[in-house]
Amino acid sequence: MSLLDILTKDVIAVPLMSRDKNGAIMELVQLLKKSGEISDVQSVYDAVMLRESKCSTGLEKGIAVPHAKTTAVKKIAAAIGISPDGIEFGAIDGKPSKLIFLIIAPPDQSGKHVAFLSEIARLSQYQQLCDELASARSVDRVMAILQGEE
Amino acid sequence: MSDIIRRILVYIDGSEHAMLAAHYSVCLAKTLGANLSALFVVNTQALGALVKSHIFLEDEEIEYRRDLNADADRYLRHVQTIGEAKNVPIELINVSGSVSTEIKKYVNERDIDLLIIGELSRIQSRRDQFYDETERAMRSVRCSVLIVKNEEQVWNSYDRL
Repeated sequence: MSLLDILTKDVIAVPLMSRDKNGAIMELVQLLKKSGEISDVQSVYDAVMLRESKCSTGLEKGIAVPHAKTTAVKKIAAAIGISPDGIEFGAIDGKPSKLIFLIIAPPDQSGKHVAFLSEIARLSQYQQLCDELASARSVDRVMAILQGEE
Repeated sequence: MSDIIRRILVYIDGSEHAMLAAHYSVCLAKTLGANLSALFVVNTQALGALVKSHIFLEDEEIEYRRDLNADADRYLRHVQTIGEAKNVPIELINVSGSVSTEIKKYVNERDIDLLIIGELSRIQSRRDQFYDETERAMRSVRCSVLIVKNEEQVWNSYDRL
C-alpha cells in the first residue's frame, strides 16, 4: 500500500495559510474533516499535539511528520501541507518546515501506519523531490511530483 | 504427495490479499499433499529506520513493535483456523527483521518449493516499484512464486475442498 492510495487532492493544502506549527496542524486536521476522512477534529488535533509535546516531529531538510494513533479514526488518513516560507516546527536542524505530512491512524492498523511513515522517511531522502514539492504552487503539481511523472 | 511441490510457504502480512493467499495455499497443500508453512515478518527494519530518521521516538518504536507482534499472533492464529477447517496443518512462523530478507532466508532454510503471496500493491509512482518488500522477495527467492488472484475462484475452491 502506497501513500498515494490514501492521498487525494482534497487533503493537500497549497499553500498552508497558517504561519505557526499549531495552526498548521489544525489546518491539516480541518482539511481531513472537510474531506470526510475524520469526524472529530478536536480529538485528532489533541492526539497529534500530545505526540508533539513529547518531541517535535520536525525533521531535517524542511520536512515535518506530525502523526498520531487515535480511535477517532477508523482508517488511516493523511494530509499534506506546503508552506513556501516555512514554519518553525522545532526541527532537528533548526530550519523551518516547508513540507508537512500529517498521518493519523487507528490503533489497530500499526502495520499500515509504519508502512506509510516509512514511505515518507524514504521520500525525505530525496532532496530534489523535497525541493520540488516545497516549491509546488498547485495541488495538481504536488500530485504529479509524488507520482513521479516529472 | 507431489514430487514437484512438497513444501509450500505462504507469506502473511495481514492484508486481505494475504488472507486470500492463505486460503489458496490451504487448497493447494491439501490437493498436493504438501507441507504448508505461514510466515509473518514483523518489520523491525522499518521501525529502526523510523527511529533513525527521528519520526519515531524510542518509546514509540517499542510500542509499535508490541502492536506488530500482537498483529502477527492474531493473523497467524487466523491462518491456523483456515487450515484446521480443512484438516490442513500449518506451521506458523513469526519472525522479525527485513521482510524480503526473512522470506528469502526461510525459503532457503526450509528448502521451500513454492512461495505463495497475495496480490501485489498497485504501483502508484515510479518510486513504489523500488520499495515493495514483497516484490523484492518475489524477485530474489530461488523457488517458484505464485501470486494469488481471482478472489471468487479462490473462495469457491476453498469452499469445495
